[in-house]
Amino acid sequence: MKYTLTLIVLAAVCVLAPAAAVSGASLRIAVSADPDTFDPTQAVAASTVEIAFNIYEGLVKAAPDGTLVGALASHWEVSPDQLTYTFTLRDAFFHDGRKVTADDVASALNRARDPNVSARWSDFALVESVEGSGSEVVIHLSQPNAAFLYTLAEINAAIYPRDAQGLASRPIGTGPYRLVEWRPNQYVRLERFEQHWSGHLPYYDEVVFRIIPDQNSAVLNLLSGDVDLIPRMEASVYHQVAYNPAVKVEAGPMNLVQILAINNQRPPFDDIRVRKALAMSINRDEIIYGAAWGFAQPLYSGISPAMSAFFNDSLADVNPYDPERARELLREAGMSGLHFTLTLPADYPLHVQTGEIAAQQWKAIGVDVDIELVEWGTWLERVYTQRDYDVSIVGLAGRLDPHAILVRYTTGNSRNFFNFSSSEFDRLVEEGLRLQGPERAAAYKRAQEILAQDVAGIFVMDPEQLAAMRREIKGWAHYPIYVLDAARLYE
Amino acid sequence: MGTYLLRKSVSFITVLFVVSLITFVTLQVLPGDPALLILGTESSPQALAALRSRLGLDRPAAVRFGRWLVNFVRGDLGESVRYNIPVSTLIRQALPVTLNLALWAVALALAGSVLVGVLSAAYGERWWGRLAGVLSRLAMAVPQFWIGILLIQLFAVKLQLLPAGGFADWRSLILPVLTLALPRTAVLINMVQVGMAGALRADYVRTAKAKGLPWGKVLFKHAFINGAIGVATAAGIQLVQLLAGTIVVEQVFGLPGLGQLLLNGVLQRDLPLVQAVTVLGAVGVLVTNLLMDVILAFLDPRVRFD
Repeated sequence: MKYTLTLIVLAAVCVLAPAAAVSGASLRIAVSADPDTFDPTQAVAASTVEIAFNIYEGLVKAAPDGTLVGALASHWEVSPDQLTYTFTLRDAFFHDGRKVTADDVASALNRARDPNVSARWSDFALVESVEGSGSEVVIHLSQPNAAFLYTLAEINAAIYPRDAQGLASRPIGTGPYRLVEWRPNQYVRLERFEQHWSGHLPYYDEVVFRIIPDQNSAVLNLLSGDVDLIPRMEASVYHQVAYNPAVKVEAGPMNLVQILAINNQRPPFDDIRVRKALAMSINRDEIIYGAAWGFAQPLYSGISPAMSAFFNDSLADVNPYDPERARELLREAGMSGLHFTLTLPADYPLHVQTGEIAAQQWKAIGVDVDIELVEWGTWLERVYTQRDYDVSIVGLAGRLDPHAILVRYTTGNSRNFFNFSSSEFDRLVEEGLRLQGPERAAAYKRAQEILAQDVAGIFVMDPEQLAAMRREIKGWAHYPIYVLDAARLYE
Repeated sequence: MGTYLLRKSVSFITVLFVVSLITFVTLQVLPGDPALLILGTESSPQALAALRSRLGLDRPAAVRFGRWLVNFVRGDLGESVRYNIPVSTLIRQALPVTLNLALWAVALALAGSVLVGVLSAAYGERWWGRLAGVLSRLAMAVPQFWIGILLIQLFAVKLQLLPAGGFADWRSLILPVLTLALPRTAVLINMVQVGMAGALRADYVRTAKAKGLPWGKVLFKHAFINGAIGVATAAGIQLVQLLAGTIVVEQVFGLPGLGQLLLNGVLQRDLPLVQAVTVLGAVGVLVTNLLMDVILAFLDPRVRFD
């Protein structure tokens, strides 16, 4: 009798378990982190943008090759002085059925640049005014800025209805999919939006992003058929799917810059000879094969070959692999007995393994390295904010425009945890905003040269994004930013 | 009885207060800025300052703890710093998962251990009694996540019988519950064997057999009940451990339980979420302990409340 009571309680508890069945022409995608919020004035986590790319659109949006195409704007014109942008809107509808008006666009963009509303208002600081009327939206800038158009493609410039509330969990966008259900820590469910302006409807009725933090679990789910696609599979589990006939892996550039960050202002690293010595004892091939299983491209400066228009491809010989010369440089600098701590972010196995290989390569030239593993929150606090480190390693996220990537190394920038400073570099980055076309590319190529020559850090590789999916899925394309385009996939 | 309840209530409240204080202090001391974790490294200093202000992080620690305490007493668990939805909603979604896992795992462990334990105690000299003993030692030694992954490989990937993870329906719980129950069954079998061995040696068992009582009745009505006290205590302790200890299995199977919630909360320095889950965990432990006291009193008439 005592036990029947317990059994009844157990049975009652099971009734509480909610059921969530998923079926139909449905695409199930495994992602490792929950989104944080779908409010464009707030959302900045990469995991959110990956999903939100399908829900929200701006005036323009990114194409897989990194260029911009019109989204809510069918075309646009820039005045000769580069201060006035005029966008012509096309006919489009929001997910709640209402038509998109110039008022909605102006309202969303004005909110994006309002310090009291938006987390990234400073990205729009140079905007003087945004006005909408009829089917046109006119934006005035206070100074020319070649990167501005790319800012309009980011999530913070997404367009939503002017009186929308509760966007954080109930987003209303214009994208090919709309959010139907979000269960934190479980899944995000999207449904096809039948009235998308392009007239072209995506293949899958429904897209479910399942939150699976563990990579091994994600792979098992793919193999058992519970998941159809893993957009960012780690190289370390590649062999589990490599020879499986039901699965294929699409590899492509990620536009990520993995850097061995050196604290430029901390002795002895303030001596360029020491930085050069460390740079010249790194064998990138060993790291590319040892940590990334061959799925990476070597880097010699701060811009990845994925940004082909701006990439400087002649920098491989600036700090060539030469351990003997590296030893000499250390002797000249009086640092033959160099001993430092390498701080690694434990949350990123790729960076941890890279760090371990690098430490061994440095040991080979007589440098003593202590490896310290820290959790991400601690890394952000100690290394990034307080800049209390010797050498560390991190992946710098890809952005559409080179300015956003290079500004990280300018003197006094809040993201410059490398403590790098070069007045010529600062000048070039600032100038680049006002230039266009080949002149702009030339300025940035010279800037990359300085990063390599002055050893702002040791640029290691751009690891490839490995997308593992059922063999039947077609249409996959790699983007140079952290997004996933579900609308182009089909079977 | 009245003073007993009063003393118990006072100690309940004291424990909960201490738990919440320790949790708060720990998160303060831990390096890490929740605003930076949310906005990421591409954000501007102004955005970070604005978020910190919105989250009330710029106020002194004592004030923040005080406000949290006052709200908690009023039943307001606050809003998650990361998800921007009420903590109570998050907990309400995660609780059934963990409760189901913990309760079913202990139930399965109890049922399995009673069956195997009683039979092997009665027929211990037979070869399969000894085999049960060896297998149970093995099950105790193998790590949980390994068992979990093996089970997924076999039942989900190879046989395609069960889902590999996620929380869709009751079928999603079969493998995780099995993973949790296996090592615990092993521990409980041990306890059952010990308890039974002691009971079977007792005089009253000899008397019952001499009286001509059927062996089955002797086993279950007399010997087992008396040996059950040790098992019940062990099962209770395991349940308490499981309430907070399902995190590894939740990770492997992608189950959105309290363990996952707590882990993510700590990694994101989401103070309201971590506070609420730890205090809830403490409540669970205290309530389960109380229930165990009650059940023990049922089982053993010699135990009294005073």
